[in-house]
Amino acid sequence: MSLLDRKVRGFRLVDLVAVALLVALVLGTYLAKTMAGRERAEIASIERQIGEEKARTRLLEAEVAHLEDPARLERLSVAYLGLAPVSIKRDVGPRDLTDIARTAANTGKLPGEGMSVKPHQPLGFDPTGHPPEPQPASPPVAGAPAR
Amino acid sequence: MSLGLQSLGAETISRWLSRIMWRLEHAFERARASDKPEDDTRIRIFVVGALFATGFAALAIGATRAALFNDAGRGDGSTAPVTTARGDLTDRNGELLAADLLHYGLYIDPREIWDAAETRRALRSALPDLDAARLERALRGGRRTFVMGGLTPQVRSKVYDLGLPGVSFEPEQRRVYPLGYTGAHLVGFVDGGGEGLAGAEGAFNDEIHQLASGDKTMPLAMDLRIQAAAEDELYKSVAQFRPKGAVAVVVNVHSGEILALANYPTFNPNEPGRSSLDARLNRAAAAIYEMGSTFKGFTVAIGLDTGVATPMSTYDARQPFHIGYRTINDFHATHKVLTLVEVFQHSSNIGTARLAEQIGPTRMGRYYAALGLTQPAKVELMESARPLTPKVWDEDAVASTSFGFGINVSPLAVTRAYVALANGGKLVPLTIRKLPPGAKVDGPQVVSPRTTEQLLQIMRANVTGGSGKSANVPGLNVGGKTGTGNKFDPATRRYSSTKQVSSFAAVFPTDGPVTDPRYFVLVLMDEPRPDASGADPTGGIAAAPAAGRIIERIAPFVGVERRMDTAPFTEVNADPNDAKEEH
Repeated sequence: MSLLDRKVRGFRLVDLVAVALLVALVLGTYLAKTMAGRERAEIASIERQIGEEKARTRLLEAEVAHLEDPARLERLSVAYLGLAPVSIKRDVGPRDLTDIARTAANTGKLPGEGMSVKPHQPLGFDPTGHPPEPQPASPPVAGAPAR
Repeated sequence: MSLGLQSLGAETISRWLSRIMWRLEHAFERARASDKPEDDTRIRIFVVGALFATGFAALAIGATRAALFNDAGRGDGSTAPVTTARGDLTDRNGELLAADLLHYGLYIDPREIWDAAETRRALRSALPDLDAARLERALRGGRRTFVMGGLTPQVRSKVYDLGLPGVSFEPEQRRVYPLGYTGAHLVGFVDGGGEGLAGAEGAFNDEIHQLASGDKTMPLAMDLRIQAAAEDELYKSVAQFRPKGAVAVVVNVHSGEILALANYPTFNPNEPGRSSLDARLNRAAAAIYEMGSTFKGFTVAIGLDTGVATPMSTYDARQPFHIGYRTINDFHATHKVLTLVEVFQHSSNIGTARLAEQIGPTRMGRYYAALGLTQPAKVELMESARPLTPKVWDEDAVASTSFGFGINVSPLAVTRAYVALANGGKLVPLTIRKLPPGAKVDGPQVVSPRTTEQLLQIMRANVTGGSGKSANVPGLNVGGKTGTGNKFDPATRRYSSTKQVSSFAAVFPTDGPVTDPRYFVLVLMDEPRPDASGADPTGGIAAAPAAGRIIERIAPFVGVERRMDTAPFTEVNADPNDAKEEH
């Protein structure tokens, strides 16, 4: 009697082996799918979080860009600090030191010493022609265009 | 496959298959003949089993593949379809100019609402901008309806927290321009469907869509610092001279990159529909003007390049010049014989027309075409306008165009031609796209490098001792040409004595070899009005100071350092009081 024809409690051995294999496969597949599903759900959740974080980051980037708008910064720096762009006349390099020393020796003054800084006037009107947005303590400027 | 079949022989295979089928079909008879009927049953069971095994194996492979390599469900589900999504726009230093941001659309399904009055009250309280009529239509309708778009995540959370049944949201991408009106005409804007309509958004529409899928950005040539400085100084001049419109352009003459392009009036690209057509008009590209004396730079360059003139050539400006049926006068007559440099410094119409006559209509027309003045400015912007040029290049047309009348061109066309004259003679295309550092941009050679050297010195002489004095910036060797063109009044069919276009075309620095870094700045005012001083707002009064201030502010950004001031041809202009501006 071959191994395939042997019977255990009335069932052929080969059938029992096949059933056991089938059960193992079903169980294995079920476990693999369940674990994969759990992992997939976790991955999807993390990806969703990444997406939300990305969206939030982009929102913040856009907000930073808006807050760092040079026109806005200039308006605020003029309104609160009285700052103005540095005149190129105050820009010196190492090669200018000789001239500065010579001027100082001849006149007893450094170039630009006592030079008054021209107050930097804010724009004072909206170039889009729309009603201006409320600005923090922005002094009004006379002579705004009629349009 | 067909090759394999051919090499095996299709006939051979079909014969083999037929034989197998025949053997299977007749196995029972053979088994009976050989007195072994059980063999037939076994064969049949084996065949059926093999078929089932093959089927299950195929299913197992498919299931394994689907389980392990399935891409479905990936992604956060919040990204918009690729067709409407757009990549970010940045300036040349990576500063954000335009971005798609996640917003939400609000939908109402009245079939799920229990208390319409409560829903109405809660929504109007949470969303004050909500259109009441639209809300009412949605509440009374019979299906799920879109009510409001552009809700930020915070606003969405606020509404979501109300816990209203029948109120739902759909994610949508919305184009946002965080800098508002800064660089609005250069950046452009999109329509509700996410298609670019103007500026870079319109020019690179397809490319920007493609960038969205790769999470990439498109850097523009614009330098935000230069753009902001140009806008600030332009708007200050606007406040002073109250023009109808104004333009400022800054260009790298070697690469043709537009570093700044400012317009007045301007608009907020976040709400283009709220602004007028006039505000949305990109005057630098889409408007055309009779530029006036800024064209004298071209005439002088052509005279030098053709060899018709040298800087020391003389022109009789003592009497008005008669050409064709016209008499040409100087705005401030000098009644002198002028050198070419003095013609430029005094902006003498008579001297320029005499030079143009010497050059001749054919050569003038050819040079104007070579400088790109007879075509729309070559730039990616779809707004680039076609110029109005003389139908016939005769003596009269040449005399008029030599000092900027009878030819209407866009500020960008003038910019491109001046860029060619300032970079050694190459007519490079203007671009709003950032080029790699040190990129070599080629173009047709329209004038010689020697002409560039001479013209730069003459332009410098005009700032040290001519009509462009107010643009001078110590240490930056600014050169330039003023222009004041009276506007043609269609109502009276005459040139207006009160409406004019004032401009200043500046180059800095003018010293050094032609290959040195160099920048072009154009400031134009359309119909400026006298300021408090009451002075006629000519190019030298209204535009040149703004150009000087822009140059002073942007020089550190473009890496131009202060150097020894030059003053070429000073011996020519012995009497500085002579240097009055002309139209």
